[in-house]
Amino acid sequence: MEDDHFLYALSSNNAWAGYKSHQNPHFFPKLADGQTPQILWLGCSDSRCPETTILGLQPGDVFVHRNIANIIAPTDINTSAVIEYAVAHLKVKHVVLCGHTSCGGAAAALSDSRVGGVLDTWLAPLRAVRYANKEVLDAMKDERARGTKIAELNVEAGVNVLMANVTVREAIEERGLQVHGCLFEIGCGRIRDLGLGTKGRGGMGLDGQEDVVRGRHAQIVFRGGRGEMSVK
Amino acid sequence: MLNSRVTTSLLQHPTSAAIRRAFISSSSSPSSSFLSSPLVRSGPLRFPTPTATTPSLLRHCSSDSHSSSSSSNPKSKLPNANPSSDKSTWRAMAEKDISRYLRQTHDRVFEHNRAWAAEKKKADPDFFANLSAGQTPEYLWIGCSDSRIPAEQITGLEPGDAFVHRNIANLVCNTDLNVMAVINYAVRHLKVKHIVVCGHYGCGGVKAAMSAKDLGILNPWLRNIRDVYRLHEKELDAIANEEERYNRLVELNVIEQCKNVVKTAGVQQSYAENSFPIVHGWVFGFNDGLLRDLQIDFEGMLKDIQKIYNLTES
Repeated sequence: MEDDHFLYALSSNNAWAGYKSHQNPHFFPKLADGQTPQILWLGCSDSRCPETTILGLQPGDVFVHRNIANIIAPTDINTSAVIEYAVAHLKVKHVVLCGHTSCGGAAAALSDSRVGGVLDTWLAPLRAVRYANKEVLDAMKDERARGTKIAELNVEAGVNVLMANVTVREAIEERGLQVHGCLFEIGCGRIRDLGLGTKGRGGMGLDGQEDVVRGRHAQIVFRGGRGEMSVK
Repeated sequence: MLNSRVTTSLLQHPTSAAIRRAFISSSSSPSSSFLSSPLVRSGPLRFPTPTATTPSLLRHCSSDSHSSSSSSNPKSKLPNANPSSDKSTWRAMAEKDISRYLRQTHDRVFEHNRAWAAEKKKADPDFFANLSAGQTPEYLWIGCSDSRIPAEQITGLEPGDAFVHRNIANLVCNTDLNVMAVINYAVRHLKVKHIVVCGHYGCGGVKAAMSAKDLGILNPWLRNIRDVYRLHEKELDAIANEEERYNRLVELNVIEQCKNVVKTAGVQQSYAENSFPIVHGWVFGFNDGLLRDLQIDFEGMLKDIQKIYNLTES
């Protein structure tokens, strides 16, 4: 049984590589030259959130870190290394922290029972978000809505950590790096801009301005509180 | 994507091994029959139909809000087959033109979105409800953050198939709670069947790690790669060509990180109980876009590691 899935992914890759180079013989040689992604994506490991696919972008467009519940903890060396490399060395123009609805991590943080292993420690910042917003969350009767709310609050907390990161701060001042907080709605496939980060809450899109994140082959426009993808 | 996912239940339930087996054996030539596989969001069962939508459809396949193609017929080919021309076209457009263009395309986005959503719903009325109900991925993918290696696209795995962690140089460090939480959750809660550690040749992280530079906060992270070098110093020093040496270091790094995965309690205990997950080491090459399986002997590795790192309480 194991071999079937294994074989599947490998054969599939073979087909993909064949198709890509058939479509554009320069595709892979060009990739081999290096990467100049404009976007750093910080998202959840959840299998339903494949960042490059949901952004409609291509290999080379998005530098990616994905962890459990897209938690951004200031002292996490893993995330810190990713941010440092992407912002200071690759000089990405946008940092997108994206949470999502129906998040298992959010559900775990909302429950009072122990998850086990190292997970409780990892989820500690999310639990802290829960306790800090106890009233708001307790007042919500619908479980799904509560899950979405804590996912939003989690993104907000993460964006705050990003905005306090010294490398990020320097890049904002020196070259206008932009930080965004978004939520991916799995139930409908849309990314909703939460209006956090460099433009501040509610500021994005309200003045009719668009913010264009350009990938190699497509772009996302943050406008009217929503990110829209556009492929030429 | 517009040819709909056949079984949305694939998202919820591991695909039946029998079906996959039948599928794989029925496709005599993977390179042709899998042609459309990674490029459309159909389930694996759908793959042998190379009629297929065009690869460019892939990019907006999984999100309706993103489903903008420049064609009004969702089933027709998209014109931007050549990425480089696409790029230069954008560059040539003035900022003002771009925003005007975007406004114009705005309606079309929603048009496509409606078509896509309708088609999805027609094929499976529960598509969106199922998608938000939960995930049962078969794979845990531990890969590099490098933008050129989107796990799902290069493997043709569907949304819902692979739980993904990506960090600098695909490292699995004992004291890194981030990756440890990912492995723990994937193994104990999602019960993944495979864990893939995937490195890539030409890894910037690996190169940076071996340079005589103080890289600040990156130092403690990249130090692990220097440790890999130290463990295999003799073999690596014997390789005269620098690029070849780096490539071998990339491979050895993957193998060492596989070992680190095997050292975890979750993997050891789950394997003792269920005979899964299996740990694989792969390397992605940019030159040809192909994944190379390092053919790790998982059972041998496990046995070897448990001499010292046994956490199965047996």
